[in-house]
Amino acid sequence: MCVLCWQFLSEGHWTEQQFDAQDAAATVTAGNAHERSRRRDRYHRTRVLNQILSHYGLRLDDWQSRSYVLSDRKGSTVMVRDLGELWPAAQQLARRQLDPLDPQLLETLSRPGPAQEPGA
Amino acid sequence: MNRASRRPITLVTGFLGSGKTTLLRRFLARPEARDTAVLVNEFGEVGLDHHLLQRLEEPTVLLGNGCVCCTLRDDLVRVLKDLLDRDQRGDIAPLARVLIETTGLAEPAPLLFTVATDPMLQHHFRIAGVVATVDAVNGQLHLDRHPASWKQVAMADEIIVTKTDLAPPETITLLLARLRALNPAAHLTTAVLGDVDPSRLLTPRPVRGAVTRLADTAQPAPPRMAPPTAGAGSRHAGETRSLCLSFDRPLDWIAWSVWLSMLLHAHGEDVLRVKGLLNVGATGPVVLNGVQHIIHPPEHLGSWPDEDQRSHLVFILHAIAPDDIVRSLQAFQHLLGAYPTVDDMDLHL
Repeated sequence: MCVLCWQFLSEGHWTEQQFDAQDAAATVTAGNAHERSRRRDRYHRTRVLNQILSHYGLRLDDWQSRSYVLSDRKGSTVMVRDLGELWPAAQQLARRQLDPLDPQLLETLSRPGPAQEPGA
Repeated sequence: MNRASRRPITLVTGFLGSGKTTLLRRFLARPEARDTAVLVNEFGEVGLDHHLLQRLEEPTVLLGNGCVCCTLRDDLVRVLKDLLDRDQRGDIAPLARVLIETTGLAEPAPLLFTVATDPMLQHHFRIAGVVATVDAVNGQLHLDRHPASWKQVAMADEIIVTKTDLAPPETITLLLARLRALNPAAHLTTAVLGDVDPSRLLTPRPVRGAVTRLADTAQPAPPRMAPPTAGAGSRHAGETRSLCLSFDRPLDWIAWSVWLSMLLHAHGEDVLRVKGLLNVGATGPVVLNGVQHIIHPPEHLGSWPDEDQRSHLVFILHAIAPDDIVRSLQAFQHLLGAYPTVDDMDLHL
C-alpha cells in the first residue's frame, strides 16, 4: 500500500492495523470489544497527530469514528479518511511540506510541555 | 483469503548479465519448481524451458503523482489474472507460487506496488520476497555506475553473488562487505552457475533477515570496502546509506505509524527500504517491511525468534542523512514511548 496512492487500496490503510496484546492469531477481535479498541486507537491517534499538526497551525478532530476533520486557524476544513489522505491535505492547508526531519518541528516536540507526555 | 493462503510471489532481479536466467534455469530443473509459474520480460539467449513460462511486456501506468515506485504494471495484472483463471478452470496444475524475473534495468518497486494494490490480486497473491543477483566480477562497477543496480540490492531480501568461480577471492570479499553494508537486512549468499539452495528462491524470508543480520554484528567486522570506482554514476551510489536501530522499550504502534507515514510522505522515494521486527507491547513482534512508498501489510508473529525482544529496524536511505533519522526519532521519543539506539551505520556505500 502506498502513502501517496491510498485511493487504490481496498484494504485499510496500514497505519490502521490493530495488534491484539494477548494473541497474535486473533488480530481482529470480535464485536463490541473490537469497536471499543478501534475508537480508543482513533482517539490516541488524534492526540498524537495534534501534537505534530499544531506546529503547522493545524488541528485534527475525529468525526464519528469514520473520518477526521482537518482544519486551519482561518477555518478552512478538509475531511480525510486516514493518514494516507491526511498528509497531502495537511500540506495543502499549511502550504508547506510536513516533514518529520524538519529541525523546527523537532525543536517544538523536544520542548517541555504537553508534547512530552509519554504515550500521549 | 487470509495472508497465509495467498500464493507467494518471488521477484528475481539483478543487473544485466548478473545470472538471473541461469539461476532460474537451475531452479526450474528441480522438483521444487513444480506448480511454479515463471514470468519473464525477455526470453533471452539462455533458453528457459518451463510449462508455465509467460512473458511480461512492460506497459506501465504512471499514477497522477508521478512517483516512480507507485507505477502500476498492467501487464503483470493481466498475466497474474490469466494464471488465476487457468488455475480455477483446472487448465493447469494447482498454482503454488510465481517467480518473476525482472529486466536487468528494472526497479522492483512497481511490481511490488502492483501486487500490493490491485484490488483483486492483493487477495490472491503476496510478495514472498525479492532476490537480487550480483555478478562477482562486475558487481562493483555496476554498483558504482548504475543506480538500478544498487536499488535492486537495496530492495532485496536475498542477495546471491554469482560467478564467484571467475573472480579473485579479494574481489569477492570486498564485494560481499559492500553488499552487507548497502543492505544489512538481506541474507547474503554466493553461487556458481546458479546452484543455490532452492529455499532461497521459494522462501526468501523478509522477516528474519534483519534479525540474522543483527546477530551477525556480533561477529568480526568484514573488511571495509575499497572506495567506489570513480565513474559517471558513482555519486548516486555514494549517497546511499544504511542505518540499524533498536529501541529500549516497546514502541507505541500508533505514534510509530504516524511518524513513519509522515516520513514516507515527505521522503518516500529516498527511503529505499525499511525493515524490521517491532515490539509494540503485544505477545510477538510485528514485522515491518517497506520499499519506498510501499508498506507491506504489517504482520503480527505469534512469538519472537529468540530472547532478544527489542525492536530492531534497518533503514536503507538515499540522499537522507542517517543522523537526521536518529535526531527525529529522539525528538519523537515521548510520543513513541521508546528511545532509539544506533546499532550500526554505514555511510557512502
